[in-house]
Amino acid sequence: MTTLQDHPATGGQALQQLPTARRDSVWRRFRRASPFALIYSAAILVFYTIIFIIPFGTGIWLAFQNWDFITNPKFVGLRNFTKAFTDQYFWQALEKTVLFSVVEISLGLTIALLFALALSQVIGKWQNFYLSVYYLPVITPLVVSIYLWRWLYRPTGGAFNTLLSSVGLPEQPFLASPQQALWAITLVVIWAHLGTGIVLFLAGINDVPESLFEAARLDGAGFWQSFFRITLPLIRPVLVYQMVVSVIGTVQMFEAFFLIPGPGFSTRTLALYTYELGFRALNLGYGAAVSLIIFIMLLGATVFQLRRWRIEWEH
Amino acid sequence: MATTADSRTLPAPISPFRRWIISGKWTKAVVFLILAFFSFAMFYPFIWLLFSSFKTGADIVSLPVSLLPKKWTLGAYLMVMDPTRANLPIAYVNSIIVTTGTVISVLITSSMGGFIFARLEFPGRDYLFYFVLSTTMVPFLTLLIPLYIVMRELNLLNSLWGVWVPSIFSSFGVFLCRQFVYGIPRELYDAAKIDGSGDFGIYRNIILPLTKPILSALAIFVFLGAFNAYLWPLVILNEEKKLTLPLIIARMANRFGGTDYQAVMAGSVLVSIPPLIVFLIFQKNFVRGIALTGLKG
Repeated sequence: MTTLQDHPATGGQALQQLPTARRDSVWRRFRRASPFALIYSAAILVFYTIIFIIPFGTGIWLAFQNWDFITNPKFVGLRNFTKAFTDQYFWQALEKTVLFSVVEISLGLTIALLFALALSQVIGKWQNFYLSVYYLPVITPLVVSIYLWRWLYRPTGGAFNTLLSSVGLPEQPFLASPQQALWAITLVVIWAHLGTGIVLFLAGINDVPESLFEAARLDGAGFWQSFFRITLPLIRPVLVYQMVVSVIGTVQMFEAFFLIPGPGFSTRTLALYTYELGFRALNLGYGAAVSLIIFIMLLGATVFQLRRWRIEWEH
Repeated sequence: MATTADSRTLPAPISPFRRWIISGKWTKAVVFLILAFFSFAMFYPFIWLLFSSFKTGADIVSLPVSLLPKKWTLGAYLMVMDPTRANLPIAYVNSIIVTTGTVISVLITSSMGGFIFARLEFPGRDYLFYFVLSTTMVPFLTLLIPLYIVMRELNLLNSLWGVWVPSIFSSFGVFLCRQFVYGIPRELYDAAKIDGSGDFGIYRNIILPLTKPILSALAIFVFLGAFNAYLWPLVILNEEKKLTLPLIIARMANRFGGTDYQAVMAGSVLVSIPPLIVFLIFQKNFVRGIALTGLKG
């Protein structure tokens, strides 16, 4: 700031002076900048070049090639992309991803919201206690949770089937069935991520001024009425944030599908498909193309969600 | 509790549903019970994990299943903790190295970045910041294959360095710290500047101590992320002696098939302990941190 004000060229003087003056000013601003900031900037630039720019560029380049790690890459134009549109495995994976994502988010966020609402009625150390219990699955390594649930899901001798038969319900195949496997895995992920939503929503609900509820109560509003009219609109930013983050997270969910293989392709999502193309089938070009399609879809979904949200906000 | 609520509801015969909602105690009790039930349901899988890890190999697969071990034994724990019979101890060391490295580097780079992008002046600063922020728009999955190729070129495959390098900086951490530093009065910086401190000195002596709250929140998330990471280490590491804990659990489970489940259970318990300790120590920061990081995002 000070450099701009000090400099004579910024005072709105003769225009011809500007080009040279500006170069001068950039140079002087560089010299005035502290070495600490410049070294850090150089470091972060190098880092993101290696970790982001080069890989992202390579990914885009790779999407137009055929490569298997061994022979030389061969340019194939848009063929990898057109292939994706006719590839039934791609569509299958996309379908599983969308199903999983939609159910996980809508169910997960609804349950989290209800839990947060219930928790907001409990004050003090019990609130903290319940919060900790609900948060436990979040801090447990996902790999542990996955194997644990797999163990509980076993068709014979699994804890869930033991529980079902003890209350007189028919035993279920769970992971062994192509119809149930995806939902069984969805339940694991909902369980594992529920705590994050609860904590966020509870923080949002606790931030709502008590006076608003007070006023609503005096006006004769019931519990649910004040929830839909006061709480929900006020925590909407949190809800939208959590929704956007969840879409990005669920589409990229890998471990659950990798470590709990459902029968056939019944639980192969896009994340798993990308991994298999890249590291199993060694079809790197096609894998890169699929992962670029995922990027574009996620970008579209995020922009769509944020825009819809803003439109609602203005009303 | 029920009787007091009843005696309250009786004298006022307006709509019983309204009464039930207005009189706090009834709802609170019901809510409390529902929450208690669900917290038990949430915790139920962990109970199985814990008890199963104390079972013997025959006991764990015997039918009909029982939750409690027929005979309590530490055999599974002794087995997985024995370096000559299992690679869990080595994986523990590997995981601690990678996690510590990641947490320390992210805390340093984020707090520095937060300070630099919020307070120091140099050409292109804001462009650089927005660039760093924009990298989060590209999902990791999209970078997975090409980043693997880059790591191969850098000769970092099958080494813990390769696991660590992509997480030295965190754009999220930089963003978070920048927001936080904006909340620190500018006068503090100006005063130290007039007193003749260098920018690095100001960072170390003023900014770093003041950003502690946000750093401790960030540390927890980075710890959990690094400790529980699965996909990237899976791609980078393949030698048994170099694996991190989540990878070794998966290997154990797959190798033993269904025959040695108690070892997987015992290993799982041991793997869950470090995050649990971190959680219990930093519990307060945790909840506040999620609120802070989530709401600001």
